[in-house]
Amino acid sequence: MKRLPFAVGLLLLALPARADSYEEHDYILNCSGCHRMDGRGSRTVPSLLDMEELRGKPGAREYWVQVPGAAQAPLADARLAALLNWLVKRFTGQSPNPAYTDEEVRRLRRTPARDPLAERAKIRDAKVR
Amino acid sequence: MSRLDRWFEGMSRQSARRLSRRSWLSRFGGVLVGGAALPLLPVARAAEKNKLGEDGVKGREGDPRRCEYWRHCAIDGFLCSCCGGSHTACPPGTEMSPVTWIGTCRNPADGIDYIISYNDCCGKTFCGRCMCNRNEGERPLYHWYRNNDINWCGGAKTQTYSCSTAVLVKAAKEPQPEK
Repeated sequence: MKRLPFAVGLLLLALPARADSYEEHDYILNCSGCHRMDGRGSRTVPSLLDMEELRGKPGAREYWVQVPGAAQAPLADARLAALLNWLVKRFTGQSPNPAYTDEEVRRLRRTPARDPLAERAKIRDAKVR
Repeated sequence: MSRLDRWFEGMSRQSARRLSRRSWLSRFGGVLVGGAALPLLPVARAAEKNKLGEDGVKGREGDPRRCEYWRHCAIDGFLCSCCGGSHTACPPGTEMSPVTWIGTCRNPADGIDYIISYNDCCGKTFCGRCMCNRNEGERPLYHWYRNNDINWCGGAKTQTYSCSTAVLVKAAKEPQPEK
């Protein structure tokens, strides 16, 4: 019974964090139409589950901001940074380290990927030293 | 028991003496025709406004078979609810496209914005009934993720567009940025 106030306190701490997070809302409204709710994509749309192939590879972190869907999303830099932190964790199992900041996102999205699939293949096949 | 029997007997004998069969027919006919004509009166049409429909919304905005239905705020196409399906299900013989465009609509009953997914139904020739083109919050082709002139059947097995649904995903945290 002594632990009860502690548990209630933890719950109260967790509540505002959940209520303030826009990540899932932004994902549904801006990504899920094509990549679908579970990220699997379709015949014409790449699967977000394949992000795992690029995990930890040089250039992947920048690439994920510069793909047209992310760079051109109608979201402010801070919201896009939060969405990407959430999305990378969800689909690669690992949070980006360090986490994306709005400054980094603002800089990277200015130069969106011109040929996303070719750039992706380059990052995937690059020899790791 | 016998008192009830006697009362009914008395009533039916009395009415048999007083009323001809033709009089009953004429009155019954009057009720039939009058009842059918009642909805034509302005009173009945005013009452329709207060009829509770889908999602607790009153009147036409609560009727999924009308363009005015609140979830149709950004739709462009034939309503599946007029085409043998419903506002959430495809007509038989068609397939729901996995890719879709997504926006928000405000439910007038509770004032909350909801995320709506406008999945197209594909595989049969276009339905042609209940065309609805509201486009609130829709954007030109260069904002393809919020454009409804694209054939969203692109992700389905066949690309023939038949009709559109309006599936409610969940409550939104804010209206879509285009509104």
